[in-house]
Amino acid sequence: MANIATARIKREFKEVVKSEEVAKCNIKLELKNDSFTELRGEIAGPPDTPYEGGNFILDIQIPATYPFNPPVVKFVTKIWHPNISSVTGAVCLDILKDQWWVTSVFDYICLSFQALLAAPEPDDPQDAVVANQYKESKDEFKNTARHWTYAYAGRPTASAEYDSKVEQLKNMGFDEHKARVALSTKHWIVEQAMEHILS
Amino acid sequence: MSEEDSDYGDCSDDEMDDDDDDDVYGDYYKHEEVEMENKKDDPEYFEFQLLKVEDVDRLLNENVEALSRAINVTPSLAKVLLHSHKWSVQDVIDLHKKDSLKLLVDSRVLPSVKCTERVLSRNFICSVCMQPSLADALCGVSCGHRFCRECWQMHFQVQIQNGVSTELECMGKDCNVLMPEDFVLSIVTNPRLRDKYQEYGFQDHVKSHPELRFCPGPNCPVVIRAPVDKAKRVVCDQCKTCFCFHCGLEYHAPTGCETIKRWLTKCADDSETANYISAHTKDCPKCNVCIEKNGGCNHMQCAKCKHDFCWMCLGDWKNHGSEYYECSRYKENPNIANESAHAQAREALKKYLFYFERWENHAKSLKLEEQAMKKIRARIEEKVMDSSGTWIDWQYLLDSAMLLKKCRYTLQYTYPYAYYLEKGSRKELFEYQQATLEAEVENLSWKVERAEITDRGVRVG
Repeated sequence: MANIATARIKREFKEVVKSEEVAKCNIKLELKNDSFTELRGEIAGPPDTPYEGGNFILDIQIPATYPFNPPVVKFVTKIWHPNISSVTGAVCLDILKDQWWVTSVFDYICLSFQALLAAPEPDDPQDAVVANQYKESKDEFKNTARHWTYAYAGRPTASAEYDSKVEQLKNMGFDEHKARVALSTKHWIVEQAMEHILS
Repeated sequence: MSEEDSDYGDCSDDEMDDDDDDDVYGDYYKHEEVEMENKKDDPEYFEFQLLKVEDVDRLLNENVEALSRAINVTPSLAKVLLHSHKWSVQDVIDLHKKDSLKLLVDSRVLPSVKCTERVLSRNFICSVCMQPSLADALCGVSCGHRFCRECWQMHFQVQIQNGVSTELECMGKDCNVLMPEDFVLSIVTNPRLRDKYQEYGFQDHVKSHPELRFCPGPNCPVVIRAPVDKAKRVVCDQCKTCFCFHCGLEYHAPTGCETIKRWLTKCADDSETANYISAHTKDCPKCNVCIEKNGGCNHMQCAKCKHDFCWMCLGDWKNHGSEYYECSRYKENPNIANESAHAQAREALKKYLFYFERWENHAKSLKLEEQAMKKIRARIEEKVMDSSGTWIDWQYLLDSAMLLKKCRYTLQYTYPYAYYLEKGSRKELFEYQQATLEAEVENLSWKVERAEITDRGVRVG
């Protein structure tokens, strides 16, 4: 039955390419191979969110039962978000689970993922550490997410304070990403972050 | 022993009165009648039937046919209607008379808003696979959404494999119309998938029928039917599971369905561990680490921060001088040791353990009951072989053991009830009765274990 999936993706692509909505939503979709089963997506962080200014790469797998089962989407770009694993990039997303076959991959990514970046759902978390931070200290969460957007998604400006802390640990010989995860988890307190890495 | 026939059996007084009748068969039937009466007097008596899958199918089909004739719809639609109306044929007929359109929309047989995007189907393109298709190859139901057979098939397959059957919906945008059985079966050809669909549908139907319950026993196919939905005892004769008809948990009178659920979760989860910690430990007043006192005097030294303090009043030990074994500050005012939280937790734990121990104890005794029965049977055999009394003379022992088992079961379930009862005269009365039953049960148990004579005509316990 995979021919339904292939035919549909082909058709969707034709429509997405000529659609004017592509530019409006700041979404790019491209095929990774000729079999129409893997796509590479790119979405822009929505304005007025900590993700603003960043570009996030998505890995999209089209199941053989598409469009009766939804595509499987993972973040390739590292991101600090309650519903997205900061380790694997896996997404916990319940919206558009029903009846989503009437939409296209393009709509799916556009509607649900951009909405998710704009409005996290900490009560249904994928990453417990991030979700906790989101609930307990919104400002710390925002700053951390903004810092991650700068470090991994190409946001032009950075918080000098966070950056210097990561640098500090890096100079001690710690891996940069590990240092960033530890600092993000431990409220950006250098001593605690060090303990966290060493434990 | 010689007058065996005159005072035969440990029968009740009512039966004794009827004994003037000499007709042997009459006597037999009267005995039956008395039993029937006893059943009705028994507050725990509950009328129910055990049904096989075929019986249930027949029962459901009778309803479906009756409705389909009465309001002139296909059996498949009648099924959808009955499923959403607790299988009450009369209710559906009444609603149909009142406002048939509303009934059909509410039951998701008809769409609330008719499909407006027919453009695609006129173009002969299935909007799911976006493939051009012949007009007559597109199909659908009352809502007007049309898709090609391949897409329907795939949709049904994916959904059925997820366990969906009676809730199968149309693929149209925002359309919640349910797929009637005949349409699904006209599309799904794979025999295994068809079986699965019908099996899931059957389960959904039994669950939506207020008179039917699946036996909760493992892999037990029996369906129980009772005319009223009450929290009463049902025993499955296939797997011997004894359960509450209303909630499906183990039979739990006198405790209510909600209460027993709370009690079982309480026993299962670790909330009691938290209570234990609170009751047996205190936090170090300086570094707040949790400390368990496992003996010794009241002079505590925190293992973590080395702070010296008094266990009773949690004050600094420096101010205590040499009062090693007593805290005079505590003596003066026992409430000083930030009483509320700790003392309350300790009190709560004590209360819970009191009820839980008794609950557990009866549960354990019940498990041993099978062995006790075996022992009694062996003893009866031995006695009969020894020719001290006939087999029938000794049956009262088995009857007593059965009664014991029943009493223990009820007693076990009185403890969760009492635990949740609020303090007051009701609770006092309940606990008085509970204690009386406890005493009688132990008394009977003692007698059953030691019975050496047949005691015919004399009641035990």
